[in-house]
Amino acid sequence: MSKKSVLLVEDEDNIALALEHLLGREGYRLRRVASGNAALEALAEDRPDLVVLDVMLPERSGYEICQIIRNDAALRDIKVLMMTAGGGEVERRKGLALGADAFLTKPFATRDLTRQIGQMLDGDEDG
Amino acid sequence: MAERLGLRLRFALFFAALGIGGVAIIAAALWFGQSRAGRDPGGYVIAGVVAALGVLGLAAWIGLLFDENVAKPILALASDLSTRARADVDLEIDETQAKHLSTLAPAANAINAALAEARAARQRAIERETARISREKALFEALFRDLGEGAVVATPDNRVMLYNRMAQELLGEIGLDRPLSAFLRPEPVLDALKRMQAARIRGRISAETFLAASADGTRFLLGRVSPILSDEEVTGHVLIFRDATDDLSAHAHNDHLFNSLLEGVRRPAATIGALLDVLQSGDDLLPETRARFRQGIEDEVGRLFGCLDDMGKRHSAARSRRWPMSPVAVSHIFDGLSAQIDLPLATGETDATLICDGFAITALLAQVIDGLTETGERRDLALGAEVEGEETRLVMTWQGPAVRDGEIAGWLARPLSTAYGDYTGRDALSGHQSDLWCEPTATGHRIVMPLVSGAPPLALGDARPEFYDFNLPDAPMGDLAERALADLSFVVFDTETTGLSPRGGDEIVQIAGIRIVNGRILRGEIFDTLVNPGRAIPPASTRVHHISDDMVTDAPDITQAGQRFHEFCKGAVLVAHNAPFDLAFLRLKEQVIGRRFDNPVLCTVLMSAGLFEHTGAHTLDALCERFGVTIPPEARHTAMGDTLATAEVFVQMLELLKAKGVTTLGGAIAEEGRMTKIRRAQNY
Repeated sequence: MSKKSVLLVEDEDNIALALEHLLGREGYRLRRVASGNAALEALAEDRPDLVVLDVMLPERSGYEICQIIRNDAALRDIKVLMMTAGGGEVERRKGLALGADAFLTKPFATRDLTRQIGQMLDGDEDG
Repeated sequence: MAERLGLRLRFALFFAALGIGGVAIIAAALWFGQSRAGRDPGGYVIAGVVAALGVLGLAAWIGLLFDENVAKPILALASDLSTRARADVDLEIDETQAKHLSTLAPAANAINAALAEARAARQRAIERETARISREKALFEALFRDLGEGAVVATPDNRVMLYNRMAQELLGEIGLDRPLSAFLRPEPVLDALKRMQAARIRGRISAETFLAASADGTRFLLGRVSPILSDEEVTGHVLIFRDATDDLSAHAHNDHLFNSLLEGVRRPAATIGALLDVLQSGDDLLPETRARFRQGIEDEVGRLFGCLDDMGKRHSAARSRRWPMSPVAVSHIFDGLSAQIDLPLATGETDATLICDGFAITALLAQVIDGLTETGERRDLALGAEVEGEETRLVMTWQGPAVRDGEIAGWLARPLSTAYGDYTGRDALSGHQSDLWCEPTATGHRIVMPLVSGAPPLALGDARPEFYDFNLPDAPMGDLAERALADLSFVVFDTETTGLSPRGGDEIVQIAGIRIVNGRILRGEIFDTLVNPGRAIPPASTRVHHISDDMVTDAPDITQAGQRFHEFCKGAVLVAHNAPFDLAFLRLKEQVIGRRFDNPVLCTVLMSAGLFEHTGAHTLDALCERFGVTIPPEARHTAMGDTLATAEVFVQMLELLKAKGVTTLGGAIAEEGRMTKIRRAQNY
């Protein structure tokens, strides 16, 4: 079985550092980009199985990336996990309305994140 | 009459004197001539008689002419003039009747014309002034009624002369001529009045502020009170106030939240910092100590996350309202938009209401529509509202491509309106604690903006038609029985019941009441509630009043409804058609309600019997017919319908009583007392 690939889109270096380590340890093939446009390039280059997507990004918002993924026939099936430091309920609703599969509010325990990713990718395997 | 005769009599006497004087002169002249000439006196006598008759005849004839052509026309003119002076007669004076009076008649006519002109001018001025006053009155009524703050005008002894809708909303069942203390804990207001009075004595007329609780203690009102002065006399005062309950609690809540957040973050942050410092400071730590330190950091991080999570939830639950918002009808926003953009815009029919800043939301939607149509690819825009409990979503659909979130973000980054300075659409959205996004639908795309649903705004029809009375009778003094009927407040009421036997276990299912103050039926000051009778309503009764068991399951019981009704009736005379019946139900429940209905009572059946003894029919229908009062068939046998009809009949009967010389409450009750036969039949 080939390794599942995860694209981490996060502009904050420190949390990206931590998440890279963590997800690598979980056995995922991981790439990280730090801006909206870089994310689009990375998506076109090599289709990941799951995207961990921060809402606040330079150039293009996480919402827009999610929209683009859902509107592109080639990318539509990618799992999207969005995260934000803004705590409002309306952000979660907007994320889910735009097609995110899950939504986490920062700060979160890293094991919640890995459990969530694990579930989403397992579900994919079952399907 | 005496004067008119007076003038003609004077003329007659004048000519009579002239004739008699002439005869006397002739007699004296003849006597003198005869005594000189010394002839036979016979000729002199004949000459004298002829001359005297001639002079008398002449005097009488000229006198008659004078009477006809001078005296009578003068009197006629005088009468015409005085009629015109006293009454509004603009007819020209008939000049031919006074043709022998030279220019007197034309002169009188000139005065008449001038008078008529002056009158017409005055009439026009009055009409102009009346129109102006009624325009101003309409303006002030609208202003006061819809003022965003509560406004009450009170008499010097603190009875309500005027209130507006907001006051009604804040203070509950406020009513004209009722004491302010029934709605407001009065001490802070009285204190402000005292300060105001002290300032006035020092020559400073100013408003004083107060913070007072509503009578039931559920609200805090922050307001100002200022005197109404006329001729240096205080004729009342104005209270303007707003609800400070939310402000106070929101302020306290925010303070509390902020302090909890600081404390909740500080403690774990300090601990984590210290633990990290030690961990990094050296390698002298034993592995198990190191593990304990790591565990400590983990625990503290967990605590920190917990605190942030908790605060986030509490903050969004608090819905801090930084942006001024009020209920706005969605249809008004849509109408405003249609007027603002020159595009066809389909808007769905909706009676939804939003808590929002209507102007900001309209401008925001206009901004979005501008953005959507910028490229010309999107057509057939349509707007609608979806209501789901506390949330109402504004939804925009179109034909054409989807919208990227980045595009929307671009539109929202523009200033909303010059009226709001640099304030952008994004700012308005965060002010409303909302966002908007484009989501796919089965057939295309739509933009969604969730907002908070509002309670339906007060319809214009809800405006109380009588919300002020500046001629309230003076404060109640002396024995109630001695007081003039015109000065009393009345509550006309009616109950619907499960049956006709209060002592046989029948109960009240509905109470309605309406107040009459200063002879006016206050259609806005009504009491109307269903009552849960705590037993089944027999179908026969439901057929009469159409109140079924289902309708009263959620209604208050008699304890609650009775207490509220008792409040409503405070200080008023109770009036009902066949009052002993309705009162029997209330009085049997006095123990349960915990209040006594000891108000004076008037019964329209007894009053009718007193006024129209000879006729037998005193039913409400008969009375309505007699006074030309119509009850819509669907309102008959509803408590409110019958109450309104009884009130109209009662007001007219008060007039008849006055005509009969009965002007006091004691008198009216005595009138009823004569109807002993009917009274005996009214023993419930």
